[in-house]
Amino acid sequence: MMAISLAAFSTKLSGTLGAGLYWVALLFASLLTAPRRFTNEEEQRTGDLLRLVARPHSVFWGKALWVLAELAANAIVLAGTFLLFTGQNVAQPGIFALGLFGTVLALAGATSVSGAMASRARQSTGLAATLALPLLLPIIFLGMAALRTGLGDGVVENGWRSAVGLVGYGIASLAVGPYLFAAVWKR
Amino acid sequence: MKPLLVVEGLSKRYGRQSLFQNVSLELARGDVLVVTGANGSGKSTFLRCLVGLETPDRGTITFDGDPSTFWGFSAIDQAVYANLTVAEHLEFTADCRGTEANVRFWLERIGLAAFADRPAGLLSTGMRARLKLALAAQAGPQILALDEPGAALDADGIALIDDLVREQAERGACILATNDPAERRYGNLELAIGA
Repeated sequence: MMAISLAAFSTKLSGTLGAGLYWVALLFASLLTAPRRFTNEEEQRTGDLLRLVARPHSVFWGKALWVLAELAANAIVLAGTFLLFTGQNVAQPGIFALGLFGTVLALAGATSVSGAMASRARQSTGLAATLALPLLLPIIFLGMAALRTGLGDGVVENGWRSAVGLVGYGIASLAVGPYLFAAVWKR
Repeated sequence: MKPLLVVEGLSKRYGRQSLFQNVSLELARGDVLVVTGANGSGKSTFLRCLVGLETPDRGTITFDGDPSTFWGFSAIDQAVYANLTVAEHLEFTADCRGTEANVRFWLERIGLAAFADRPAGLLSTGMRARLKLALAAQAGPQILALDEPGAALDADGIALIDDLVREQAERGACILATNDPAERRYGNLELAIGA
């Protein structure tokens, strides 16, 4: 965020460019931390103990909700500092807020699913990040559309549609996650 | 009497190496099965298949109940959470299983009451082995499966195993993977893996 604010110093960013820069920061923060919540059990070899005492759906939801809380905190802090440092105006607060909420939900879903799928593999953190990429593409597309509209560029109707799409994507991926996780958790 | 555990035609191989083939057995209440075999023969893998940590290539394992409370499992190479204290481990596993933690009781029983607030990462190997025994036996499992239980334990620890195995044989059944002659004496059944 410091780099973005220095790069944009004395420059008025367009909504589209602002949304793009915000997304780079959010993706960097979330891809570094979120998949590790699923893979670190195997890396620290504590997976066996957890597998013996806990049900896979409980493990998935415990981890996914933690990822969700972590991403929500990330997104809110990043949004606050981004708006403060770049001086961007939120032209459509409703779309911006729903877009941010949907982004967090969809990112939590996608990174949880990829983390769950990669959790039993060797080199699992790298694999989780790789698996997350195709899952992230629709989120980036929808998230960019929602945030740029929130920041004043784009058609308002499309912005709403994208924000709602993000929420739907998040719910769908979080609904599928426990079943995928249960399939790979016990081998 | 209905058996607690029925294993039929269990087989497992790693690559070209066959660890065990077509193993069938039944365990009833009061049975103590000792699994023996040379290093690398597959004793640990056999136990891991039984408790659900590995999938066998062939065969079926039948028992009644929730695996998290039916089985108690402890192995020498099993890791615990380095940052959780001894007491927190007992609370955490009980929460996950939905059973009573009985933290005080288990701390006294495994001789770690003075180390209740010490992170597991700072325990000695023997202390960690005692903690793992407590985590395995805490829920009062139907079958207690112990892999090399006496390794790393002192005389008090060996006495703890002695108590746990005898108590377990009254409640359910016990499976020990070991080549230790003293531990082999607990068994009324013996299975040689890789023989």
